[in-house]
Amino acid sequence: MHSVTAIVVAHDGARWLKETLAAVLRQTRPLDRVVGVDNGSRDGSGKLLTEAFGTGNVLTLPRSTGFGEAVHEVLRRLPPAPGQEWVWLLHDDCAPDANALQALLWAAEQDPKAAILGPKLRDWLDRRVLLEMGVTVSRSGRRDTGLEPREYDQGQHDGIADVLSVSTAGMLIRRDVWDELNGLDTALPLFRDDLDLCWRARTAGHRVLNVSDAVAWHAEAAARRRRRIATSDEHPRRLGRRNGLFVLMANLPFGAFVRSVLRNVVASTLRALLFLLAKQPANALDELAALGSVIGRPLRLRRARKARRKGRKQSWPAIRRKLTPPGAALRRLADMVQGFLAGAGPVDSAGRHHAAADRAQEDDGDELLTDSGGVQRVFGSPVVMLGLILAAITLAAERTLLSGLLSGGHLGGGALVPVTGGASDLWRLYVEDHHGTGLGSQTWAPPYVAVLAGLSAVALGKVWLAVGVVLLGCVPLAGISAYAATKRMIPYTPARVWLAVTYALLPVATGAVAGGRLGTAIVIVLLPVYAALATRVIAGSRRAAWGFGLLLTVGTAFVPLVYVLVAILGGLAAVSFGGIRRGVRRSLVIGLGTPVVLLFPWLVQVAREPGRILLESGLHDERLTGLRLGAESLLMLSPGGPGVPPVWATAGLGAVALAALLLRRHQMIVAIGWGVMLFGLLVAIVVSRIDDTAWPGVPLAFAATGLLVAAGHQAHRIAEFRAGGGLRRLGAMLIVVVAFATPLAAATLWVTKGADGPLRGDLSDPVPVLAALQSAPGEGTLLLRSRDERVGYTLLRGRGPLIGESDLEPPREASARLATAVAGLASGRGSTYVQTLASFGVRFVTVPGSVDPALRRALDSQPALIRVSLSETGGLWRVAGQVTVPPPPATAGALHRGWLWAQGTLLVLVLVLASPGARTREPEGDYADVPVEEGPRGRRRAKEDRVPA
Amino acid sequence: MRRLIENRFGLLALVLVALGALYGVAYVSRPAPVAQARPQAVKAPVESVTAVCPAPSGSRVSVVTPADPERPQTPGSATLSAIKAPGKNGGGKDDVIDRVGLLWQRDVAAGGGPLVVDADGSMAAGLESAQTARETSGTQRGLAGVRCVEPGAESWFVGPGPAAAEMTLYLANPDSAPANVSFMVYSGEGPVLSERGNGVVVKPGEHRVIRLRDLAPSPLIMALQVSTSSGRVAAAVKAVLGEGRGVDWLPVAAAPATRVVVPGVPGTAGQRELYVAAPGERDTVVRIRAVLEDGSYALKNKETLEVPAGSASSLDLSTGIGGQPAALVLESDVPIVAGLKITGTGARQDVAFTAGAASVDLGSVVADGRAQGKQTSWLVLSAPFAAATVEVRLLPAKGEAPAPIEVTLPAARTKELRLTPPKGSKGGFSVLVRPKPGSGPVYGGRVLDEAAKDGQMVTAQPLAMARIWALVPPTVDSPGVVLP
Repeated sequence: MHSVTAIVVAHDGARWLKETLAAVLRQTRPLDRVVGVDNGSRDGSGKLLTEAFGTGNVLTLPRSTGFGEAVHEVLRRLPPAPGQEWVWLLHDDCAPDANALQALLWAAEQDPKAAILGPKLRDWLDRRVLLEMGVTVSRSGRRDTGLEPREYDQGQHDGIADVLSVSTAGMLIRRDVWDELNGLDTALPLFRDDLDLCWRARTAGHRVLNVSDAVAWHAEAAARRRRRIATSDEHPRRLGRRNGLFVLMANLPFGAFVRSVLRNVVASTLRALLFLLAKQPANALDELAALGSVIGRPLRLRRARKARRKGRKQSWPAIRRKLTPPGAALRRLADMVQGFLAGAGPVDSAGRHHAAADRAQEDDGDELLTDSGGVQRVFGSPVVMLGLILAAITLAAERTLLSGLLSGGHLGGGALVPVTGGASDLWRLYVEDHHGTGLGSQTWAPPYVAVLAGLSAVALGKVWLAVGVVLLGCVPLAGISAYAATKRMIPYTPARVWLAVTYALLPVATGAVAGGRLGTAIVIVLLPVYAALATRVIAGSRRAAWGFGLLLTVGTAFVPLVYVLVAILGGLAAVSFGGIRRGVRRSLVIGLGTPVVLLFPWLVQVAREPGRILLESGLHDERLTGLRLGAESLLMLSPGGPGVPPVWATAGLGAVALAALLLRRHQMIVAIGWGVMLFGLLVAIVVSRIDDTAWPGVPLAFAATGLLVAAGHQAHRIAEFRAGGGLRRLGAMLIVVVAFATPLAAATLWVTKGADGPLRGDLSDPVPVLAALQSAPGEGTLLLRSRDERVGYTLLRGRGPLIGESDLEPPREASARLATAVAGLASGRGSTYVQTLASFGVRFVTVPGSVDPALRRALDSQPALIRVSLSETGGLWRVAGQVTVPPPPATAGALHRGWLWAQGTLLVLVLVLASPGARTREPEGDYADVPVEEGPRGRRRAKEDRVPA
Repeated sequence: MRRLIENRFGLLALVLVALGALYGVAYVSRPAPVAQARPQAVKAPVESVTAVCPAPSGSRVSVVTPADPERPQTPGSATLSAIKAPGKNGGGKDDVIDRVGLLWQRDVAAGGGPLVVDADGSMAAGLESAQTARETSGTQRGLAGVRCVEPGAESWFVGPGPAAAEMTLYLANPDSAPANVSFMVYSGEGPVLSERGNGVVVKPGEHRVIRLRDLAPSPLIMALQVSTSSGRVAAAVKAVLGEGRGVDWLPVAAAPATRVVVPGVPGTAGQRELYVAAPGERDTVVRIRAVLEDGSYALKNKETLEVPAGSASSLDLSTGIGGQPAALVLESDVPIVAGLKITGTGARQDVAFTAGAASVDLGSVVADGRAQGKQTSWLVLSAPFAAATVEVRLLPAKGEAPAPIEVTLPAARTKELRLTPPKGSKGGFSVLVRPKPGSGPVYGGRVLDEAAKDGQMVTAQPLAMARIWALVPPTVDSPGVVLP
């Protein structure tokens, strides 16, 4: 015969207690005895207990009493009952189903060895969500339910299961076993005491069962921090972690214990580092403190281990099978990284009873969440389709470039030197104090070299791959970035698609590809991101400000003009919005200050020669810009130069944007868009008129962005017009046709004309193989090319120039001497010019392409030059006699070193500050003028509201 | 203002006005088209010259550097020495010449190899040297002169073939790098592929004498291309037609071009035979035009000459231009090279050769001029395309230089000038020919003849552009040159 005593322990749980007590009293198997314990509640819990159980059945204990202590206290006072006595432990926030006890007892009868039984726990609020059905622990002391986060109970795990442990919420335990094991360990006032008890019970040869027919709803109030914990001052996360470790280490046999110590020291350090990266220093501290407090008190641990010694080793094989399998840790790490990348920050469920973390954020691909098959899901998404279409257009347009590239040629031409070398070469170029290239230089390498080196490192160290993806892929990348960035600005998906396609196929984009303008290509991809981040910066988001600053640094490093444009617009924004929102000004300072700090010495150099602000990275050549660019070209967003479509190609965009001005709703956005357009246009005019070698691509991209936002933002009105029927419907159709005419025309023209302008994919290495092979290290090759009746030259050292080397300044005196020597050499007047070249370490003179007869005669007339080869593809001459490689000057690079370290440190700091973390989500997007998609925000609210306050 | 903003068209109007203003700004500020100022090449005096006299034994070597008041005088000297490997002392005494503007001559004793003239500084600019032999009997009877040439990568010679004359190729390499020389002979029947290989390596300081009969025994006429795949070589070809039939050196012919001017045909009587070769892979018909004293026209029945691909052809022009000073303008669709044989009159004949030549835009110097006894020097100048004015200045070996003569050449005319040194001057003289600014291209040649009793002796050489000035092209240090 069974006798069941229910013990309900309450502590500030009036919120749930009423329902719990009702559930306890409503059991189909009536309870023999009920006892309430009030651990010094201040919210009337004691009164509720008294009302339900009667005065005599309620025990009042001090506030600091733990759960185990309270149960001990009750059982100490409670005389044993006749027959097989059971104790049913209940939390104040745990309401059992009416037939829970009946089911538990039935299961107990089936298995005489069963000493501890637990119900299936479901969530208090969302009553179908499974919380746990037996709990196990991983070797790192992490509690594990084996369930998916927020898994619904559909009976999929049902049955009576032999488990490692069950929760104390609803735990039914035989009283003799309790007494035999000495109950819950009072050293663990909260968390993992259940695990410890069950583990000991199993060690003693009893069974622990989870009975799914018995159901209880649990609010996990302490673990979810819905109430203050009085037994300890510590954060539940640290407490949970510490107790987990403690229980694990106390119960493991010796060999496993040693391994566990080592494993946890390493793992905790790693986790702490990850937390630091995710800007969760509190988590990191908890992690380390928990470990420290377990290992740091060896005596306590030893005492606990001593108490649990009996039978530990014998039962270990059986228990080991119940622990979380080792692979789970890796899987969790993968999940964590994934979550981190998705912006959620590491999901830490160490202090929670369940990983049902409230992932309060909408995923970018909400539209992906349909229940169709994977392929359909991927291809049905607008962003994937957009990317694929643009990629197809790009592939068709760049066919000759790509075929040249695939047949082993080098990418180069226009502003891009033939791309050679690897990421390590770029790194060396960036960090070295003295550049051995050419005539040697002490200039600090421009910072975009570091960006490119980083990109190349990602691209497996292949610079050509990184440059190829960024430059040749800038059209699809810009499209995707524009589509993603307008998510918050333009809710109407067809408009976003149109905007993205039009933006990606702007004359600036095709011109940047044809001209080999890596800088503009990168800025085109980043510009929509700037816009998206800027709206969040204006909303006051600090993290977005750091991210904005970082990306602006990247853009500025390639095209300094970006900074000027952004700074002016940012200043205007500060004037307009600064008064409205607190912290906007500071966010703006962060966003605009980061590039200045990160690029400081280089910016100083640029500021010394203001003309450089107008230029971008790479080579500067008048032939790459539309000399005397017509006013109509500028007005139609065409920057001139190779690769741009005819002026009329963008007419549709202008017409639609003008039409948008006629709509009166949200006129402010349209006005702002047009304002940006006019501003960009003005800058473009200034740029193209000041410097012949400057290309107004970036300001025109700014202008186009403004125009596109103005037009795209009003596009949802098309749907209204279409619904209006009649003439309005016709007008809507006309506008759609006009709008899509621009990207269609641009794509068609681009594909038919081909993407290659000066940019080619089939260039050969500028240094002939023979010269590269026969040069001693450091010896140079002088490259001559007569063009436009003048002889251009450059000095190469064993390899082609790297990207960025053209921006280095050689010493003035040496370059003057070299210029004289080259002029003399090309004149064929004899004398000692070759000796001068030899003193610069020149071993070879090469003239690529078909050699100009005059130049050939001049070189052939030099007794000290030996012709090695001469053909249609070029000529090569070798310097006879002694060649001395000038020794690199002794450099004192302390300043440079220091700056590089400082820059690296600052960069890491900004990266950490800009990267998403999990601790706080900032309110986003609710700035005054741009209406925000209401859906996600509403959803988030709902989730927050669900938590009972 | 408020009504403007509230009006539906207000914003549109504002934007249009702003766009119009920007258009205006862009339109007005559009720079005017400027003619791109082409960078001009700068004239600079040549600073060092090396020339090789191929076989001066028994000849008179003349070396001269014209003085030029335009040019800053810098120290400099020319050295005349036997060819030797770099770093080695050739033994023997070197002649050092350091007087600018005066002709230096020396009769070299028989025996010995080529002589190298090395000049630098002010002696280098315009240095001209030549060797002229005079024999009165034997197979070598006649006047035989040749310019001492600079070593180069490619030379062309056009003349009789080894079957018609004993042709000897002289190669010399005064440089410090070995020259890998190959030959190609184009005969009347096509290119000749030699069984013995057609290449030879001339080491630094070495010289070679090659009988062309060994390379190609059969051609009656030939064009010879001497080229190096690496290094430089000075090449010269001597033709000995046989006892009583004359001897002379072949001048270096202009490289293949679609228009070739063969200047320097003297007004003396005798045979004139034109050789043309088309080294390319297409047959061609060469249009021949003679530039004479009274104008320029095609010769009757000798308007064209067919040259098969890779072959040489000849044409007797004696009835066309014999007895008149002339230049020939040859035009073809494919590049050709050309030469001309001049035969003297008399019982025992002597020959001379001229060949396609470049115009003498920056001036030309002839080292060896003679006007002693029965020797006469002629200067034949032609302006086949545009009128020109030429200044001719004699530079005597001793004494005062006479005043320069100015010669006006109408377009498409040739003029022959008899060079006579002023009374009292002894020895030879040099000639400096300089077109005046604004002149059209001038071509010319110098002919030296001696009316010997048993037959006229003659030698000729087309005027070569003097290496006085070199054009220093504008240079620009630009990393962009790595791109095509």
